[in-house]
Amino acid sequence: MGAEDVKRQSPNVYRMKLLGATVVPVESGSRTLKDALNEALRDWVTHVENTFYIIGTVAGPHPYPMMVRDFQSVIGEECLTQMPAMHGRQPDAVVACVGGGSNAMGIFYPYIEHAGTRLIGVEAAGEGLESGKHSASLQRGAPGVLHGNRTYILQDANGQITETHSVSAGLDYPGVGPEHAYLKDIGRAEYVGVTDSEALEAFHYLCRTEGIIPALESSHAIAYAMKLARTMPSTAAILVNLSGRGDKDIGTVADLSQADFYCRPSCRGQSVKGGAEQVIWIQP
Amino acid sequence: MSRIAPTLAALAAQGRKALIPYVMAGHPGLGVTVPLMHAMVSAGANIIELGIPFSDPMADGPVIQKAGEAALRLGVGTSDVLAMVREFRAQDRTTPVVLMGYANPVECYNLQHGADGFVKDAAAAGVDGVLIVDYPPEECEAFAATLRAHDLDLIFLLAPTSTDARMDLVARVASGYVYYVSLKGVTGAGHLDTAAVEAMLPRIRQHVSVPVGVGFGIRDAQTAQAIGRVADAVVIGSRLIQLLESSPQGQEIAEVESFLRNVRQALDA
Repeated sequence: MGAEDVKRQSPNVYRMKLLGATVVPVESGSRTLKDALNEALRDWVTHVENTFYIIGTVAGPHPYPMMVRDFQSVIGEECLTQMPAMHGRQPDAVVACVGGGSNAMGIFYPYIEHAGTRLIGVEAAGEGLESGKHSASLQRGAPGVLHGNRTYILQDANGQITETHSVSAGLDYPGVGPEHAYLKDIGRAEYVGVTDSEALEAFHYLCRTEGIIPALESSHAIAYAMKLARTMPSTAAILVNLSGRGDKDIGTVADLSQADFYCRPSCRGQSVKGGAEQVIWIQP
Repeated sequence: MSRIAPTLAALAAQGRKALIPYVMAGHPGLGVTVPLMHAMVSAGANIIELGIPFSDPMADGPVIQKAGEAALRLGVGTSDVLAMVREFRAQDRTTPVVLMGYANPVECYNLQHGADGFVKDAAAAGVDGVLIVDYPPEECEAFAATLRAHDLDLIFLLAPTSTDARMDLVARVASGYVYYVSLKGVTGAGHLDTAAVEAMLPRIRQHVSVPVGVGFGIRDAQTAQAIGRVADAVVIGSRLIQLLESSPQGQEIAEVESFLRNVRQALDA
């Protein structure tokens, strides 16, 4: 795991350690997800005889994007069956956050052939799509090759991968699964951006209204669903993939909201990439 | 035909092995690379591999990673690397130069300079071959055809894990030489097993007709000599980069030159 993410996702790291895993912080490059992928691939080629490479997103060399999509699509298949049963029909739109794109691909995949359902992927716009500090590969990237797949990549004029920014570690990735690039190019899915502060606002909103603490990643999808709902008739149905729990993120959220959090020794703000002063959260 | 095949054929005719040093373009300084290339030739290098820096070098160990990061901090891009080859070529018209790097900088160069921009400009600069770590043979037939049309060679990596079918696939598109990765791991690793390399080489030669170079983990003259007994060429990279890093400023080129001279002597002994 990138050393930056070890800090940001410390509850997940501790959970993995409790279960017996060894978590190796990666100090190279930008010390986030892409660098962890590089290091995992390096470790794999070095210990190929006794090591399996696994990845939790729909990126990487074939057949990984396909395998992860197929596993993740259980959620989409369930929605396809349960939406008519619970709601009487299929949704008008499916909304999911996109970093590498696994949860979005999982819920989109069975809906691709349902032309009446809009597929909307929400990328991390970080401090704004114009700020340069975001992770919106599909909206601001250019075609390229990274980690063994051709897709949209955030890169500079020399083809070097640029550093990304998002309040959520899971979206902080400069590439995106190649099948999302395809869905974008053929116009089947739309990709939009939600900023750090919009995601934080949605995080708090869902906590207060539904009693659900969403992951910061999924909070991006919720934020966009709330925007989208205002443009649709009240009879319309939006299906949001609440892809993760926010327990792991409460330290980050407490830091950004200037709240006390068990006197956490991580130093308020410092544990968050970008720093607290750069993210403005407006109390709903 | 590039300069690579005639160079390797001439060495083979003399019963000698090719010495192929690898350095990162722009490391340890922008002005160092071209004089370093000339010095390596005078120390007995037969082909030079020049690294194109990349932000995410998945096949490289920490030494080459750091060299690439240093070059990137100096702003070295693909056009700068081509300019270095042009400058080298102005004085040296015979030593083959192979560019080694990753797909994205090449693809990005093509986005800006036209579909075949990289290959055209590399050929014009005097490059002889290209090794793109993350272009597998089944994905780069068009790239290979463009290279052939410009008389450039496409160099491929083979690994201890390469299957017979994989070697056949590589043999169909590879030219110049193939580069056998002597160990399971990244560049600069320290667990090279010369006996295992010896055992693998005859298998590779059953499938691949071009000369076989061996690299990844060759750190001294003795190992180079042992590898040279079975391979056609010996590639040394990380060790040279460490020498460039550890030498007093101004002494870097001389240190690399003297190291390579020793390796050359061991290979010719």
